[in-house]
Amino acid sequence: MQTSVISFKARADAALADPTLKLAIDRTTGTAERKRAAALVDFPQFEAARERGKRIKDHVIEHLDHYLLEFERNAIASGAKVHWATSADEASRIVVDLCRQAKAKRVTRVKSMLGEEIGLPHALDAAGFERFETDLAEHIVQLAGDRPSHIVWPSMHRTREQVSVMFKKAHRVPHKDETIEAMVDSARRELRDKFLSADVSISGANFLIADTGATCTVTNEGNAELTTSPPRMHIVTAGIEKLVPSLPHAFALLRLLVRSATGADVTQYTTFHCGPKKPVDLDGPEEFHIVLVDNGRTKMLADAGLRDMLRCLRCGACMNHCVVFKQLGGHAYGGVYPGPMGAVLTPVFDGLKESRELSHACTLNGKCQEVCPVDIPLPTLMRGWRDRSWREGLEPSSMRFGMGIFTFVASRPWIYRLGATVAVRMMRLFGRGGWIRGMPGLGPWTAHRDFPVPSGRTFMARYANGEGRQK
Amino acid sequence: MSNTLVSSPPASPRVALFVTCLVDAMRPSVGFAALKLLQDAGCRVEVPMQQTCCGQPAFNSGDTKDTAVLARRFIEQFEPYDYVVAPSGSCAGMTRAHYPEALADDPRWAERARKLGARTFELMSFLVDVMHYKPAGVKFPATATYHDSCSGLRELGVFDQPRALLGQVGGLTMKPLEGNDVCCGFGGTFCVKYPAISNAVVSEKAAAIERTGAQVLLGGDMGCLMNMAGKLHRNGSPVLVYHAAEVLAGMADAPSISARSSDKG
Amino acid sequence: MTARDDILGRVRAALGRRSIDPASVASAAATLLADLPSTRPRLLASSLAEAFIARVTSPKVAATAERIESTAALPEAVARYLRARDLPKAIALQPLALLRSLDWSGFAVRDRVASDEVAAIGMARWGIAETGSLVFHSGADTAVLANFLPLHHIVLLRKADLLAYLEDYATLVAGQPMPRNVNLISGASGTTDIEGSLVLGAHGPRYMHVVLVDA
Repeated sequence: MQTSVISFKARADAALADPTLKLAIDRTTGTAERKRAAALVDFPQFEAARERGKRIKDHVIEHLDHYLLEFERNAIASGAKVHWATSADEASRIVVDLCRQAKAKRVTRVKSMLGEEIGLPHALDAAGFERFETDLAEHIVQLAGDRPSHIVWPSMHRTREQVSVMFKKAHRVPHKDETIEAMVDSARRELRDKFLSADVSISGANFLIADTGATCTVTNEGNAELTTSPPRMHIVTAGIEKLVPSLPHAFALLRLLVRSATGADVTQYTTFHCGPKKPVDLDGPEEFHIVLVDNGRTKMLADAGLRDMLRCLRCGACMNHCVVFKQLGGHAYGGVYPGPMGAVLTPVFDGLKESRELSHACTLNGKCQEVCPVDIPLPTLMRGWRDRSWREGLEPSSMRFGMGIFTFVASRPWIYRLGATVAVRMMRLFGRGGWIRGMPGLGPWTAHRDFPVPSGRTFMARYANGEGRQK
Repeated sequence: MSNTLVSSPPASPRVALFVTCLVDAMRPSVGFAALKLLQDAGCRVEVPMQQTCCGQPAFNSGDTKDTAVLARRFIEQFEPYDYVVAPSGSCAGMTRAHYPEALADDPRWAERARKLGARTFELMSFLVDVMHYKPAGVKFPATATYHDSCSGLRELGVFDQPRALLGQVGGLTMKPLEGNDVCCGFGGTFCVKYPAISNAVVSEKAAAIERTGAQVLLGGDMGCLMNMAGKLHRNGSPVLVYHAAEVLAGMADAPSISARSSDKG
Repeated sequence: MTARDDILGRVRAALGRRSIDPASVASAAATLLADLPSTRPRLLASSLAEAFIARVTSPKVAATAERIESTAALPEAVARYLRARDLPKAIALQPLALLRSLDWSGFAVRDRVASDEVAAIGMARWGIAETGSLVFHSGADTAVLANFLPLHHIVLLRKADLLAYLEDYATLVAGQPMPRNVNLISGASGTTDIEGSLVLGAHGPRYMHVVLVDA
């Protein structure tokens, strides 16, 4: 999924002109912010927990090879089959091949951003399988034929009114009342038999537990369990950074993840999968496959300016609190992941040339880092991409030229003073009643705001003249 | 990063005022207010005459090399002083939080940056945390609301100090701003590179400011204040905008940033 | 080169590898869990039973609860629950000897949970007071689907099986082989996918009722 320099601005403009989208964004992110804040009031130990979570993640990252091998060993011992994929294409090919081996016709999916990352929905469709998304939001996204716009609420960009129309068209027994409850009920009816009749189920993982070889999902709806027990094959795709040493480490991170994502203390369903159906089991898949996916993660690991991003728990707090995301929504970002984390990750997946705008469309205000449950220095990482972009010559030549001039001038105080005086005089020429409504060079500012006329002489000129001296 | 509270204020420290580009060109009264406040607090204030820009525009554009050029100049000029104070969280934050990053390729300069950074402060946090200053006899009868600029808040821990100082101003009633810690959409070059997004953000900020019913908007950073004042004025709002330093120094009788009458200066 | 070799090779190169001493890695991992109380919320009450009930009936966990004195009282509690909701006395019963041995006369009892099951009765292995969670292990007497298909899920839990914190469960099962599925269930299913607004009863049970027995 490629981003492009031109389309970010076009997408952003389209998003800004869409009041329905804004309504949808405000409803969801507003709720998320309030609930997270309320959860933290009840959890005064949050900052200490955050510090612990950061250290756990850093420890795993620093010993990633060790934990990968431990996980693989234990997963195989539990009866699972472990596959490795270096790229997105390789990962989705492995999944498609496994589905073919299982002679699958119908495939059910549990929401997984990693699945989006590797292009799984498209790969499954292209291979001719009948695919059913089982999370409510992914079901909505599938009906709408578009893409997720938020990592926790993929259909955030849809208002209830839009969802109602889609369900009435697609569901066999749709809702009668226009309430969200009735719509959810309709989806429950519609998807029930899909769970039980699928041949293969595919899910992701929030955690990979190294000392047992188990995978863990953290969900609310019950579809994850209904989807992954009935079919004869269950496939888990997961990024290699999802490893944790053991169950208590997973629990420590769980306390951060859920509060940061939805404001609940824990989701309804925390489920651990370890191996396929055992002889004593009453249900479960005959085959359990785990696909460990790199897709740029080792690249991030090798880069000191990106390694911290591997701590990411995929909670979505950063985007819920981002002033830019809250104006644009997720689709404007153009990649799999939106918001601040998306601005850092997308250049890794899609290349910097295609996605450099994302790290620039940011005020560097730092709220994202403040709410990140594992203290990822997102503004620093974003500025790091700007630095890379500059060094790779991707920045517009007018900018390079301008910056060169500015540095030249700012290194020579007498030229700087002269320049400031001239600029001030020019601005005063364009001012009316203390304000500039329009002036060459100030276009982007004055398109939306007035620009205050400078006071007159500069501070340095007045101070040099004796003003403000100590008595 | 938070300012460490010193147990008792230093006696007559030599303080260098870092004026900052926007104050220098756009609103010198903020610089003179800062001078007065520092003098009243018992500092020997000087203004290094070779100062220009801290390099933040270059840094935020990804031009680390040019940033380093300006960073080295800054360090050389301001190193001789006991403290460096700027009426701006963003500029103080640049030098304190980011100079070591910009100079990372040269460990000796990075170390000089770190040492100087430890003595570099945003104005209001310096007055409270280091000088334990309390303004006396200052009056500004008005209702006002306060915007916490992002760099000052998150990089330098500036939050309580402006409120403590403004609390000493006679007749001034502070009203809380909904989303006081939400970015105003200035973001330096962001507002001119992405004007439509910036406008959407500042529009919400302006609406929140107007909802407070306050007569005055106060803050600690010129960029943010100009951005919000410009939007408020375009909206036809009567809200007056001042830098908190001007109010604290008793210099807020000059026309505000969003005054309608033309300014003499 | 296989993908496995490629990935491991890159990881090692990125970390500047060096040989790993598993014992010191394990020791470092254990140190990361020191002083857990400093990073955990307080329980809602001083007794585990009160803390668990308070949590499981709080708005944060969408469940109802009651206490009975002995397991023999469970069928009567279930009958009351169904009567109050105008539901027929038809239940699916988890194939646990303890549950099966109770007096279910007057009930139509099924031993497997149908996809449109109205009410199913189960028993949790443990309860966790911190989160109001019920713990189920898949096995000969526990089908995973039984916890997810019914509309009403009524779960028996013994007071003696209450744990304080999530880590207490981890400590109990450490070193033992894991079952195919471990389900920590905290309330009825729900979704906030439409406009962030919470709706109960997504795909899993819409109603969760915990019966805590003082045994």
